[in-house]
Formats: sequence, C-alpha cells, structure tokens
Amino acid sequence: MIKDIVWIYYYASLILITFMSIYGIAVRPNLLKKIIMLSILSDTANMLAVLLGYHILSPKPPVYPGGTFSTTQFPSQEQLSTFAKYAVDPIPQVLVVTAIVIGLAVLVFLSFVAVLIYRRYGTLDMRVVSKKARHEVK
Amino acid sequence: MIDGLGIQDLLLIVAFTLAIVFTYKTLVEKDLVRAVVYSAGQAIAYGLAFIVLMAPDLALAYVAVGVGIYSALFLLVISRTERYEKVE
Repeated sequence: MIKDIVWIYYYASLILITFMSIYGIAVRPNLLKKIIMLSILSDTANMLAVLLGYHILSPKPPVYPGGTFSTTQFPSQEQLSTFAKYAVDPIPQVLVVTAIVIGLAVLVFLSFVAVLIYRRYGTLDMRVVSKKARHEVK
Repeated sequence: MIDGLGIQDLLLIVAFTLAIVFTYKTLVEKDLVRAVVYSAGQAIAYGLAFIVLMAPDLALAYVAVGVGIYSALFLLVISRTERYEKVE
C-alpha cells in the first residue's frame, strides 16, 4: 500500500521535472538557459530508464558471480539463480552510460553554437536573434 | 521509521524532492551563474539516487560529468557571452 504510493511519487516527481525542463526549453528566451534545461531533461530520461530496471526485493548491483578472469571457474547453479533473483537489470545501466557520454558531446556542440551566435548577433536572447536574422534575409 | 519503507525509499524520496527543488530554482533564476550552481545541485541529487538504485558505476560517471564538466562548460560559455538573462 505505502510502497505503491512511494513508487507513484517517484514517477510523478520525474514526470514533473520533465515538464518543468520542457517548459524551460520552450518558453525561456535565453539560449544558455535552454541548454541547461536540455541537460536536465536528458538526465531525467536516463534516471527514468534506470528506475524502470530497479529490483524491489533486496537489490544488489549487477556483478557477475563467477570468476571473470579464469575461464575454467564457472559459477554454480545456486549462484546463478541468486544472481538472477536479486540483481537489478543491467541493460538500462549499460545504455545510460552511453547516453550520458553522447549527451555530453551534444551539449559541447550546442555551447559552441551559442558562443558563435553571440559573436554574430551580440546577444543570446532568441527573440532578438530571430528578429535580426529575419531582417538579414530580406 | 515508517513500517514497510526501507532506508532506500527514504533516500530516494529525499533525492527526488531535492531534484524537484533545484530544477525549479534553475528555471526561475535570472542570474545564469546561480542557475549553473543549482543545476550542479540537481546533478548531486541524481548521483545520490543512482547510488540508491544500485548503479554505482553510473553514479561515478554521472557525478563527474554533471557536476564537473557541465559546470565548467557553462561557466566558460558565460565568460564568453553575457551573465544576466534579460527581463522584458
């Protein structure tokens, strides 16, 4: 009962953070504020993926139970069944490590574009930038 | 302690509440340096949540990226451009 309420609170808080960051990306005029809120949005998506792979009953980190460096020492049947019963899901964690690094590369590129826009137009306010750019095209 | 809830649940509640508060402060802040600092606080809250969710490798990578590299990158952009968000 109280477990269900707590899990509803987890998902509701992550969805609330998602909507706040989407509001920041869509409504805030400053370009750097948009980039900061985009970083929060990607981190929230990663956190949601990890939370979906969580194990409720006495979780353990997904570490392989046998000897990894020697090929002759395989884990026993009980060790494997214990591992499958209690370890959290390793697939979202592996994907999220990749997603963190790719998000870092995307944000470095966007920051570079923001510095170039500031040098070209003299401001980071996107309303002014779009007005000036439209004036240039005509 | 409330029965039925472990220490993991309480830590996760604290971490997600901190993340909500820091995200709201980042959203309403006009000074961009303060917004970067609040974003780093949100990264610390998510790192705590990653440790509780049994992903210690993710916590290591994410705290290094979210607190260190993001903050340094955004402060570099602020030093090249402007600090305050214009109010209309």
